[in-house]
Amino acid sequence: MHRQPEITRRVALGALGVAGAATVGLSWPRLTASDIPGRGEDVLTVAILGTSQDAAARQSLVDAFTEAHPDIRVRIQAIQGNDWGDFFSKILTMIAAGTPPDVVNVATEGTQLFASRMAEPLDAYVMRDAAELQEYFDDVHPTLLEAFMYEGSLFQLPTDFNAANMYLNTEALDSAGLERPPDDWTKDDFTDLLRAMRATNADDFVPYFWTNRLFGGLVPWLYVNDTSFLTETKAPGGAWFWDRFYPGEQRSGGYRWLESNAEDPLVAESVEYLRELVAEGLGTRPEEGGGGALVGLFASGRIGTTPAGGYWAQGLHEAGMDPDGFDVQFFPRWRTQRHQFGAAGYAIMATSERKDAAWEWVKFSATKPAMELAYPRPTTTPTRRSMVNEAFYADTGPRTWQVFYDTLDTFPTTSPIPAPPQQAAVETALIKNVSAAVSGSAAGVPGALAALDRDLTQALRRMS
Amino acid sequence: MTTAALPTARAAVDRGSGPRSQGPAWRRRVVVLTFLAPTIIGIGIFTLGPILASILLAFFRWDIITDPEFVGLTNFVDVVADPTVRISFINTLVFVVVAVTLQIAVSLALAVLISQRMPTWARTFFRSVFFFPLILSAASVSIVMRYLFNEEFGVVNWLLSLVGIGGVPWLTSPTASAVVIVLVYVWQQFGFTFLLFVGGLASIPTEVYEASSIDGATGWRQLRSITLPLLSPTMLVACVMAVISALQIFDQPYVLTRGGPGDATRTAVMVIYESAFRQLEFGRASAIGVVLMLLIMGVTALQFRLSRRFVFYQ
Repeated sequence: MHRQPEITRRVALGALGVAGAATVGLSWPRLTASDIPGRGEDVLTVAILGTSQDAAARQSLVDAFTEAHPDIRVRIQAIQGNDWGDFFSKILTMIAAGTPPDVVNVATEGTQLFASRMAEPLDAYVMRDAAELQEYFDDVHPTLLEAFMYEGSLFQLPTDFNAANMYLNTEALDSAGLERPPDDWTKDDFTDLLRAMRATNADDFVPYFWTNRLFGGLVPWLYVNDTSFLTETKAPGGAWFWDRFYPGEQRSGGYRWLESNAEDPLVAESVEYLRELVAEGLGTRPEEGGGGALVGLFASGRIGTTPAGGYWAQGLHEAGMDPDGFDVQFFPRWRTQRHQFGAAGYAIMATSERKDAAWEWVKFSATKPAMELAYPRPTTTPTRRSMVNEAFYADTGPRTWQVFYDTLDTFPTTSPIPAPPQQAAVETALIKNVSAAVSGSAAGVPGALAALDRDLTQALRRMS
Repeated sequence: MTTAALPTARAAVDRGSGPRSQGPAWRRRVVVLTFLAPTIIGIGIFTLGPILASILLAFFRWDIITDPEFVGLTNFVDVVADPTVRISFINTLVFVVVAVTLQIAVSLALAVLISQRMPTWARTFFRSVFFFPLILSAASVSIVMRYLFNEEFGVVNWLLSLVGIGGVPWLTSPTASAVVIVLVYVWQQFGFTFLLFVGGLASIPTEVYEASSIDGATGWRQLRSITLPLLSPTMLVACVMAVISALQIFDQPYVLTRGGPGDATRTAVMVIYESAFRQLEFGRASAIGVVLMLLIMGVTALQFRLSRRFVFYQ
């Protein structure tokens, strides 16, 4: 009889040990993260907020850059996040882990955070390549550049922006027997428009939909009421830049938001207006988060008006909306017609060992051919005036696309959303107290604004 | 081998002179430590290390980018003085009381129902259905729920409108949003305690019920006098685990309401996250984390202390 070979415990344990060692050996690249594409290579890493599909979509931009700079290899690193705050915190985690990118696409929300702590000023580079850059500055509105100045230095060349304009649903306007409002329409005109829409549409129709956040929430109503929740001042300096590229412009070395202004009576007035819209059923109680989900609702005719930037044009088109199905107008006038905007551009990390290559990327990204590759469709508003034209919006609409850039040209006081280095704490304070203020009675507004003042003061002091 | 022989054999093994002895005591200790080493090292690096680092960090001001600065007890003083932190802890404790009570009640009721006479296939079906939500990502579930409970466009309000109930501000009213968070949390979590109770009920000897039936005990009396006392050890485990889990609630309020309106649904872990990863105050976040850890330890110790009165071991 054939005897079965005996597997002793020692043999079994030995085999297990060998298998374990082999597994560890095979997994070593993964365990040490050395299998991550580009890790350890001489590659310029560019971090963007988005998905791997977003990174892939910029491949044509990378290819064009590589053609112009064959000696610089570029890797786009897509970092997913709910919002810019999420994105910035992940960049900080990368810094803590010792793997910071060389270049980061930064929006207004993070400009001062990066400028104050981790970004490289572009001043020397800009002046060195001034002749080459003049064409870019000639095509870009100076207020966009001022938003990226911090304490007299320039930190980014903005490539796209969005102002808070008012989107109007043409079908809802028609059913209310209304025309597109005039450019200088007022807050009261807006209220009347909402009431007319409310009266002529179904119960589940929302005349005004707004989202409780920094962009497009309370802030546009503060700006048109000639106030803000933070005291806005300007930094000195910056003459080196303005004198060279925008002679005749009397601009500053950047914005400063150093103190709370939440107890300004005009702030209370703006909040009360929104609270009344909610109470009257003209506006929704605002939820927090992005406005992406609203596109489908607006396209299906369930929302009458909402504040948004040029980035909505492509979204509405993809949701099946006809170019004539929606319109855009300036934000309604109150005491002023000052608008808010947010912009974005590339910043060079101070920790980068490839700063010269990084500058080449920043400079290249601001060229017109590069921006045409980066923004082939109106998913945002390019900062170059020459790109915001009939052809750009031909497929998507709106027919009144001029509004997007005219916001900067028509209203010279238009300025960025308040975003000090403590922006995340400031935004948290704003959102939570606005939601409390507009969800209750008028008697609750002063208390909510006092809480906002306290939270803002604490946030600005704690991290200063 | 008789049962009487067991102590002798056990003692022999303990002394290291029995048949299973592999050599001198030091050698056995080396063997034991060798086998335990991976676990000890893992716990040391991935559990104790971060805990100690977090406790240490609570005494520093650190924003990742600049060097840490020692600030003594400042972070703890700030945390105690901060009304947002206080509210978040109160919210968390209220949530724990409501959610855990509901979770235990629902789990127990369903487990008792399932344990009644029921076809095997039905029992298997319900066990799977009740456990299913637990395997889903809390964040994904919350995103879906956010759409369902939307005041203007959500399915829930649409269904209510069919029976004449007007739009409820589920996610924008302080009370309604707290209710939604409790419901979503309990719906997702009760499957685990449910399975614990099903196991606990199965371990109760049927002879006890048979004997009580002979003595004339009915269903309710059996539940009160047999099932609940004999299930109390399981109940203790379920309560301790449910409380620890609920004290760490984050995903549901973060996705559904972001802590709003106001601070109505802000929880302790949310404040830790916001302090660390939104506001770059890692020292302050660590201080809040230390306070939460002490709270969890205190509540758990209290539960075990109280269990001496209520838990019945066979």
